[in-house]
Amino acid sequence: MSDQPASSTMVSITLNVNGVDYPVAVDQGRNLLSVIRTEVGLTGTKEGCDDCECGACMVLLDGQPVNSCSYLAAQAQGKAITTVEGLMDGQEMHPLQRNILEDGGVQCGFCTPGMLVSACALLERNPSPTEEEVRIGLSGNLCRCTGYAKIVTAVQRTAQELHP
Amino acid sequence: MSSTTTARFVRADGPDKVTGSGRYTADLTLTGALVAKFKYAEVSHARITRLDVTAARAIPGVFAVLTQDDVPDVRFGPFVQDRTLFARDVVRFEGEIVAAVAAIDVPTAQRALNAIVVEYTPLPVVNDIEAALAADAPLVHTDWAAYGAADVLVRDRNDASFASIAKGDVDQGMADADVVVHSRYVADGCHAAPIEPRAVVAQWEGNKVTIWTSTQVPFDARAGVCETLELPANRVRIIVPHLGGGFGGKCGFHYEAHVAALARATKRPVRLVFSRREEFLAPDRRREGIVFDLQTGVTRDGTITARKVWLAIDNGAYTADAGFFSQLAAMHALGPYQVPNALAEAHLVYTNHQPSGSVRAPTAPQTCWALESHTDEVAAAIGMDPVEFRLKNAVATGKEGPSGQVYDEIGLVDCIRAATDGAGYGQPLPDDEAIGVAIGWWPSFSVPSGAYVKIDGDGSGQIITGAQECGTGAVMTLRQLVADELGMQAEDFELVYQDTSVAPYDMGATGSQTLFNNGRAAVAAAGQIAEQLRNLAAEQLEANPADIVLADGAASVAGTPSRSVSIAELAGIAAGGELLIGHGSGAPPAPPEVVGATCVGDVGMAAWVAPQFSCHAVRVKLDRDTGVARVLAVSTAHDSGTIINPIGAQGQVEGAVLMGIGQALTEGTRYDDQANQRNAALLEYKLQTCADAPQIDIRFIEINTPDAGPRGAKGLAEAPNVPTPAAVSNALAKLVGAPIRQLPMTAERVWDALNDRSAS
Repeated sequence: MSDQPASSTMVSITLNVNGVDYPVAVDQGRNLLSVIRTEVGLTGTKEGCDDCECGACMVLLDGQPVNSCSYLAAQAQGKAITTVEGLMDGQEMHPLQRNILEDGGVQCGFCTPGMLVSACALLERNPSPTEEEVRIGLSGNLCRCTGYAKIVTAVQRTAQELHP
Repeated sequence: MSSTTTARFVRADGPDKVTGSGRYTADLTLTGALVAKFKYAEVSHARITRLDVTAARAIPGVFAVLTQDDVPDVRFGPFVQDRTLFARDVVRFEGEIVAAVAAIDVPTAQRALNAIVVEYTPLPVVNDIEAALAADAPLVHTDWAAYGAADVLVRDRNDASFASIAKGDVDQGMADADVVVHSRYVADGCHAAPIEPRAVVAQWEGNKVTIWTSTQVPFDARAGVCETLELPANRVRIIVPHLGGGFGGKCGFHYEAHVAALARATKRPVRLVFSRREEFLAPDRRREGIVFDLQTGVTRDGTITARKVWLAIDNGAYTADAGFFSQLAAMHALGPYQVPNALAEAHLVYTNHQPSGSVRAPTAPQTCWALESHTDEVAAAIGMDPVEFRLKNAVATGKEGPSGQVYDEIGLVDCIRAATDGAGYGQPLPDDEAIGVAIGWWPSFSVPSGAYVKIDGDGSGQIITGAQECGTGAVMTLRQLVADELGMQAEDFELVYQDTSVAPYDMGATGSQTLFNNGRAAVAAAGQIAEQLRNLAAEQLEANPADIVLADGAASVAGTPSRSVSIAELAGIAAGGELLIGHGSGAPPAPPEVVGATCVGDVGMAAWVAPQFSCHAVRVKLDRDTGVARVLAVSTAHDSGTIINPIGAQGQVEGAVLMGIGQALTEGTRYDDQANQRNAALLEYKLQTCADAPQIDIRFIEINTPDAGPRGAKGLAEAPNVPTPAAVSNALAKLVGAPIRQLPMTAERVWDALNDRSAS
């Protein structure tokens, strides 16, 4: 069941999501978010606006954060796609996941996957960000619950842990 | 006095949420599920002259197209029965549903929507709240007088609910004043805007329907389905998967019946997922716009002699749960002040806008904004510092409020001192910065609620509750309350919640009531098990049950800790005999009676059980060249009673403050001249981002409140949303030299005020 208009232009592509190859046949107009959530079957990545405004759908493409609602699935072929499900190391949570939870940076949780992916990318390119840099780095991810304070704390604490 | 943080609290639903394994409604799929789509009116007021779904029904892959002709002809509404599931004859706002489609996929559903033929004759559009009250105004509901409605409501044409609160002699009080200040303020409507757009999945098995839905109030949703589809409660099961935020926007009964009707008609599961645009336009839960006219009489020494307020609330096209808003807004417009002579008159006015409904502290942030901006004008008129003015006039323990209620132990004065202290109020600031201060209040809602607790043979427990978790963590806190009653650990309990067929009634994630009422219920349920455990232990230890102490996972004899048996062992014994099952509800505290005031349209909002108080002091920086304001720091103090979960409580304050800043500066719905929303997208309706967020200082004034919830807790989810826009306003007024009289106080409006002032 597709969430987007079908047309006659189907393409067969292979998406590498969290290290696993998924061969899928999709319309070339389909966005990456929809394919991750339906054909690939990973629902951790959320749709909040379908307009590149909220960041709930953020995934990493070769380590770069991308709003997957506004990225064609076909364009993601050949890239390493990381979703929130891919942040765990086996059964172990990523330090960002653990810290955002312990610091109270999770309430309803709907923005959390995108926020975590965004924070991951931030720490990858800037391992020791200032508070201001964290705030700017996460400003593409809307959270309506927390006021962001505890999310910022968690990201800073994680940076400290990873690069003391 | 202020809170001390106890053990670190990690929410039980957290691992689901940070790993992506947690399922929200839109994450669910069922075999054979069809896609639901709605045909909306797209015009704000018109008579339907033709509605033809024949062509749509004929499209291959379309399984059902429903209109009001296909469902029971029921008018519903909790206060005024003014609405039907689908438009009947007349559409009254752009987001009204005319028809619903179930189809094999989205493109087919879209083709079906396009094939539905609807023709309209335009009706006069009611786009202005005040104009709608004119004697010759076009009616939004010509049949208003024939509608069923709650007996207490006072209705007249476009006025769906009039309320007044009168105390003393307001004319005499004004005559006794040295100065009377008269102000007008206008608040635009705005949105709850949870990040999760709503979703509903429905599936019938035989004559029973299960509905997974993103509601804050599962029992309300069930009641709506039962009423509109004429079903008994025990054949409708509402399950809420994880809920992606609500803020009131997902209260009430929304689309559960539409989707259930589609699923029944097609004999297939049906799935509805809203787009962000639908989320903005369709739900009957938008924060109401209000027009305020405020007068306060005051003597030169700063004593309030009288207050007279008139206000008109935008009800929108249907009344939803807004029936109680008039009296609630009247209370907020009089405010938490000692007012000897008071008159408040409030109207809830039909327009052709999206219906209003309970969004986080309904009516309060915008009414507090108007009153507290006015209060700074009053203090300025007599040359008094606005904080000193509030300390002199605010309600306090043993003092009488504007509706005649005399308050028991309350902490508002302490809140004012703590918040202004936290902000460094009175210290010199740069020329482009100022601190504004505002006070607010909010009732606790004392209502019935239920929970079960059971402990299985292995000693692990479950709390089965009707309560709904919308992100606040209130349901998560139940584990600690229950564990403490039983001398166990929170981790010993799993929560089963958000399922109407499994758990007893709760009002839902609304009115900040979960801990207050369901906490009481869970403690009562745990108390029954505690009694069972004490009896079992007494038998095992050959002691008196009254001497058994439950602590650290064991039952022991008081004073003789060596005589002890583990709770797990007792649970094993119970599993072979009388099972460990507790159920609880507990009596809700009785609301205080209104004494000393006369109320018309009384819905019980003029006297409050365990009221919550707050003060925010906000430091704002203004760029006078552009009108752009930035909130630098917010100092908050709250009397919400005992704080049980400090990290969760802080999160409520932080989130509500940021929402309040959005309401203050950027969040407001704009209508065109045909009453259609012009900014129904996150690009044009700006929420605050991480980079916008200021430093927030949080202080809790924990006092011993009579008639509070468990351990003296009151509510907290809504209270911190109340005074933020007002405090921002008072800072801006200092910087501009005059109040900004329309909310949100956008850069354009601030710039206009600055330049009007320069011109004059």
